[in-house]
Amino acid sequence: MKPPLAGPPDTPGAIPAQAGIGLRFRHHEVVVQAHPAVSWFEVHTENYMGGGAAPAYLDAIRRDYPVSLHGVGLSLGSAEGIDAAHLARVRLAVERFAPGLVSEHLSWSATGTTYLADLLPLPMTEEALSVVCRHVDQVQSCLRRRILIENPSTYLRFRHSTIPEWDFLAEVARRTGCGLLCDVNNIYVSASNHGWDGLAYLRALPPAAVGEIHLAGHSVRQLDQGRTLRIDDHGSRVAAPVWALYRAALQHFGAVPALIEWDTEVPPLSVLMEEAASADAALEELRHAPARAHAA
Amino acid sequence: MHPPAPTLHELQRSLRDSLLHHAGDPACAHVIADGIDPAQRLGIYRHTIESTLARALRLSFPAVRHLVGPEFFDGAARLFAAESPPHHAGLDQFGAGFPQFLANLPQAAALPYLADLARLEWQVDLVLHAREAAPLAVERLAHQDESALAAWRFEAHPAARLLWCEFPADAIWRALLERDDAALAAIDLADAPVGLLVHRSGGGIAACSVDIVRLDACAWRLTSALFSGLPLHAALEQAPCPDAHAVLAGHLAHGHFADTCCARPMFAP
Repeated sequence: MKPPLAGPPDTPGAIPAQAGIGLRFRHHEVVVQAHPAVSWFEVHTENYMGGGAAPAYLDAIRRDYPVSLHGVGLSLGSAEGIDAAHLARVRLAVERFAPGLVSEHLSWSATGTTYLADLLPLPMTEEALSVVCRHVDQVQSCLRRRILIENPSTYLRFRHSTIPEWDFLAEVARRTGCGLLCDVNNIYVSASNHGWDGLAYLRALPPAAVGEIHLAGHSVRQLDQGRTLRIDDHGSRVAAPVWALYRAALQHFGAVPALIEWDTEVPPLSVLMEEAASADAALEELRHAPARAHAA
Repeated sequence: MHPPAPTLHELQRSLRDSLLHHAGDPACAHVIADGIDPAQRLGIYRHTIESTLARALRLSFPAVRHLVGPEFFDGAARLFAAESPPHHAGLDQFGAGFPQFLANLPQAAALPYLADLARLEWQVDLVLHAREAAPLAVERLAHQDESALAAWRFEAHPAARLLWCEFPADAIWRALLERDDAALAAIDLADAPVGLLVHRSGGGIAACSVDIVRLDACAWRLTSALFSGLPLHAALEQAPCPDAHAVLAGHLAHGHFADTCCARPMFAP
């Protein structure tokens, strides 16, 4: 059964189909003091659990801006189940901050009593699909809302994978009613690393399921024998081919909220606002383009 | 000859072993090479994990890092993370074992005060991230009669913690964070032991600074007794202080106790 969408578009706190910015701790004070012209903010849920200054800042910011909670810690792909205590903390954060969107990742981090501090790749198997769907159901039931699942950036593939990643995501959305967070930079990085067609990946995702787009920078790592891998490090401006893929994504999905992510070597807010302006410009172009049918 | 397909559980366990302990072969066998050694592919994830955990420890132990230097710190962080990986996603408990790890580290034996400094930084970290709570106001006590007051059980505010150190860790901490080499050099390590109260001052978005005060022996004993939940009369018996009234008034004035609805037991003796 599909859970209800999280509020109609004109509810205060709903995330508009405009560009938003990933809020980092170093921006807290300037956002509270200067009230910059940003449409919405997204934060990593885990950084705003518990007490202290950070969640207090988000309370203040939330009074003036819509906020999206993007989690990294639920480990939806863990064979042994998700951490109930962590899910409870996520629910508390959702209740406290009334986010317009809640999202997580197609990945895993926990096994046994160990939490591995990265978003680790899943094999694309029927077993993994079943595990992820079970956990998405569990989370949506606990939070009483739809969540979005983000496509991963990956640096390896498993021999025993049987399902293309894009079909895996589409199937999770179909079975659970969850939405998809289409990270265009991740598509570009993974497609480059594994020889996939990024446009084909985009076109395989069901447009009605896509509730948000992520945009970020990446780097190229040199390996032995002249081989390279693209690394999704969120440490630079969005690359030109990723902007192109983003415009294709808008054509395919229609106007959805787009988030500028920048997590390392974070620049002043003004730089992020420049990136957001570029994303907004593409959204404006879409709104004024002649009407065209979206691919089914 | 490739191994049979693992279950998801088996795969996740072997990836954990590879990422934490470099025991890579079982995990590598499941990874498609496609021109790049699977060990290198796994190495990308291992590097991210190590960096993330090192950064978490850097944030929690800035004075320790300044004291031992970035290279030593990152090396110790790597060893600690391999030995005691985090148990949950918030990483907020991850550094709890780091002070004891440093205490046991042979390479740190030349710095006998290092463990105390790390323990102090951990209390600072806990206090900075403690949940909000209304502090107990003196007015609440002013309305109590004598017997109710005598039976009153105090509760430490979540952002107030006690730490006993064998070395003057508070002075070392301050000098390091203020980059005051002269002050650091002037510290008398024999100016010890110290009983410290670590407290987050301010609330809301101003809740980002920490006060560390030294309690004299008497105030330490009394405060410990009060924080342990003993009724006031029992705490005063256990830790008699000539200036008990001033100690209590000071704690109340600075918000070191939490306002609990049931500071007394439901059924008075």
